[in-house]
Amino acid sequence: MIKIAGLTFDYPGHRALHDVTLTVARNSVTALVGPNGAGKTTLMRCIAGLETPLTGSITVDGTNVLEQPREVHRIMGYLSDFFGLYQDLTVAQCLEYAATSQGLPKFEIDEAVRHTAQRLDLSDRLDQTSASLSRGWRQRVAIGQAIIHDPKVLVLDEPASGLDPEARASLAALFRQLQADRMTLLVSSHILAELDEYSTHMLALRDGRILESRALMTSQLTDARRRLRLDLARADTRLPAWLKAHAQITLHDADIERAEFDFHGDHYGQAALLKALIEQGFAVSSLAAHRENLQQSYLRSVAAHLENQP
Amino acid sequence: MSNPEFKRNLWLSFSESRLVAMPAILGLIFLATYASHAPDARAGEVRMIAISLFIFIVWLWGAGNASAAIIDEMRNRTWDQQRMSALEPWTMTWGKLFGATSYNWYGGIWCLSAFALTGMFAETQGLSLTVMTLCTVAILLHAAMIAVALYTSQFGTRPLQGATVGWLIVIGVTFKYFFDFGLDMSAPAAKFWWGMEFEHVLFWLLTSLLFAICFVFAAWRAMCTALQVPTLPWAWPAFACILTVYFSGQITGETGHPLSVLMLLGLLISVALTYLTLFSEPNTLLLWHKLRILQEKNEWRSWLEHLPVWTTTLVLSVVFATLSYLFTASPPLGNNASLPQPVHAFTLVLMLLRDACIVLFFAFSPNSKNAAGKTMVSLILLDLLLPYLASVADLSELFFFFMPIPTPMTSGHAAWNSTLVMASHAATALVLVNWRLRTAKLQ
Repeated sequence: MIKIAGLTFDYPGHRALHDVTLTVARNSVTALVGPNGAGKTTLMRCIAGLETPLTGSITVDGTNVLEQPREVHRIMGYLSDFFGLYQDLTVAQCLEYAATSQGLPKFEIDEAVRHTAQRLDLSDRLDQTSASLSRGWRQRVAIGQAIIHDPKVLVLDEPASGLDPEARASLAALFRQLQADRMTLLVSSHILAELDEYSTHMLALRDGRILESRALMTSQLTDARRRLRLDLARADTRLPAWLKAHAQITLHDADIERAEFDFHGDHYGQAALLKALIEQGFAVSSLAAHRENLQQSYLRSVAAHLENQP
Repeated sequence: MSNPEFKRNLWLSFSESRLVAMPAILGLIFLATYASHAPDARAGEVRMIAISLFIFIVWLWGAGNASAAIIDEMRNRTWDQQRMSALEPWTMTWGKLFGATSYNWYGGIWCLSAFALTGMFAETQGLSLTVMTLCTVAILLHAAMIAVALYTSQFGTRPLQGATVGWLIVIGVTFKYFFDFGLDMSAPAAKFWWGMEFEHVLFWLLTSLLFAICFVFAAWRAMCTALQVPTLPWAWPAFACILTVYFSGQITGETGHPLSVLMLLGLLISVALTYLTLFSEPNTLLLWHKLRILQEKNEWRSWLEHLPVWTTTLVLSVVFATLSYLFTASPPLGNNASLPQPVHAFTLVLMLLRDACIVLFFAFSPNSKNAAGKTMVSLILLDLLLPYLASVADLSELFFFFMPIPTPMTSGHAAWNSTLVMASHAATALVLVNWRLRTAKLQ
C-alpha cells in the first residue's frame, strides 16, 4: 500500500532519514517504533505529503506523494502528535468541516458525520464544543476528522499519548475495527505496550535508519507452524535435548524449566506433543501458543543492530 | 455552501449576539453623531464617521483577522489538518480571504449604507467611486496579510514577524490614503499616467484594483506552496514588471523619455525586490544541495520549482541593465563622470550579485544562524566604513576600489572602470561561495 524508496530527509545540520526503503502491506497495522529522535514523525509527515524530502520516492496506493500530494490526501487520513481542534466549533461542525474539506459529496455528508460519530461513540456529544471535551474525547474527534472520508490509509503519530488506560483500550479496539474495515494503518509510538494489542507488522527506526521491517509473529501464523512456549512445574535437565531431538520442533530458546520453539504441526499434532511430554515424565504446567510482544521484537532488532555495528 | 473553509469561518464569526451587536453599536454611534451636530453639518459628519469606522472595522480589524486566518491555524495546530484536506488552493484562499473577514464586512456594509445614505442626501460627487475604492483597498490589505503570513511561515519565521511585515503594508496604505484624501475623496485633482489624465479618485480606484489583484494572486500562489502544489517561479519577476510599468507611468507623466525611464526603473525595482527576497528567504545549504541533485538528474521543472525567488529578479535585473544600457541614448543626467552613466547599470547588478554571494557565504557556513545579520555587518563594513576611512585618508584609488560608483571623489575614472572593479568584487565573492559550497558538510 505504501512504497518508499531511497528516502533521505535533512534538517539544517541534521539528517533525519537516511536512504529509507520500505513497504507497508495493504490492510496491515504497522507499528512504527523507535526512540525519540529516530525520525518517526518526519517519516510520517513525508508519507502524508506535508514535508518534501531531499531525495527518494513515496507512493501510496500507486500515487506518487511528491508529485500529487493532493490526490494522496483524498485516500489518506493523518493525525499529528500535537493535533489541534477548532475550540469553538461543536463536534458535529468539526466532523462536517472535515467531511466537506475532504471533498465528500453534499448528499453523503450527514451520513458520514452520523456514521463516524457512531464509530467513535461520539453520537451523544455532537452538540458539545471541542473546548468542553476531555483529552480522550478530543482525541476521538481528531481521529474522526482523519477517518471521516473513509481513507484507505490512516497515519497516526503518537495517537495514545496522554490517554488514560480506559481510553487507550478503546482506541486499540477502534484500530482493530478499522483494520477489519480494510484500512491500512501506520501508527507510531515509543510506548510499545500500547501498540502491542493491535499491530500486525513492526517497522523499527533508529537514527533515521530502518532497523527492521517485518510481520510480527502471532499465535496463529499458519495451521502448520506455530510458536509455542512450554513451562515445567519441576526442573528437568533432559528438556533441551529432548526438544532438540524432536522432528517437528525448531528450538529457539530452552533451559531446564521452560522453552520456546516453533512447532511444525496442527492442533492435533500439538495435542500429541503434550501427550508425549507427559509420557516422558516432564511435569508440564503449560504448553501454549506464544506471541512475541513488540517490546521483545524491537529489543531483538536493536540488539542485532548493535551486534552488527563495527 | 460550496466552500467549507468559508462556511467554517462563518460558523466561528457569527453568533446571534454578534449579529445584533454590530448594527446596534454602529447605530448608536451614528445617532450620537447626528444628534450632536447642527442640522446643516449632520450629513457630512455622519459620512465622515462612517468612512472612519469602515477604515477601522474593515481595513484595520479585518487585516488583523485575515492575518489570524493563517497564524492562528499554525498556533492552534490545525494547519496540518487544513494542508491535508482535499481543498484546492484557490478555494482555501478565498475561503479565508472573505470568511475570516466576514464579520468585518458585515460591519462595513452598515458603515457604507450610512455613508451612501448621507452622501445621497447631500448629493455628494463620486459616491460610487469612493465606495468601490474603500472596498478594493480592504481586499488588497486582507490579501496582503494572508500572502505575507503564508510566505513567511514557509521559512519557519515566527508568525509575529510575518504579521509585522503585513502590518507595515496596512499602515503604509492607510497613511497614503489619509495623505491623499483625509476622509473625503471628493477633492478633484488630476493625475497623469503614461500621458493619460485620470481623476485622482479614479486613479486611486484603478491602483487599488491593480494591487488587490496582485495581492490576491500572491495569496493564492503562497497557498499553493503551503498546500504542496508546485509552481514555477515567474510571478515575482512579473510583479517587478507590473511595478515598473505602474511607477514609470507616473514618473513619465506628460513628457520625458518613457523607454529609458522604464528600463532604469525596471532595474531599480528588480534590484530592490531581489534584496527584499534575498534577505527574507532562508538560502540554506540544504536547498542548494537539493538544486544540485535535481540538476544532476536533469529534473529541470522541479529545479525551477525549488529555485529561490530572489534569483529570478536577479536575472531580470541583468535583463533591465542590458536594456537600460542599450536604450539610454545619452546619460540621463549629463556626461559628467561624477554622475551616473548607462554603464553603471552593470555596476549595480554586479554589486547585487556580490551581495547575494555574501549572503550565501554566511548561509553556507557551519554556524549559519543569523546569516542576514552577518551579511548586513559585512556590507556596512564594505560599503560604508572602509570607503569612509579611505576618503578620510584621502586615498581616492582605494576609495574607488571599495566604492566604484560615480562621486566627485571618483570623477577621474572612466565609467567602465567602476564596472570592472565591481566585477572583481563579484568574482571574489563567487569564488568564496564556491569554496564554501565545496567544503561545507551537509550535516
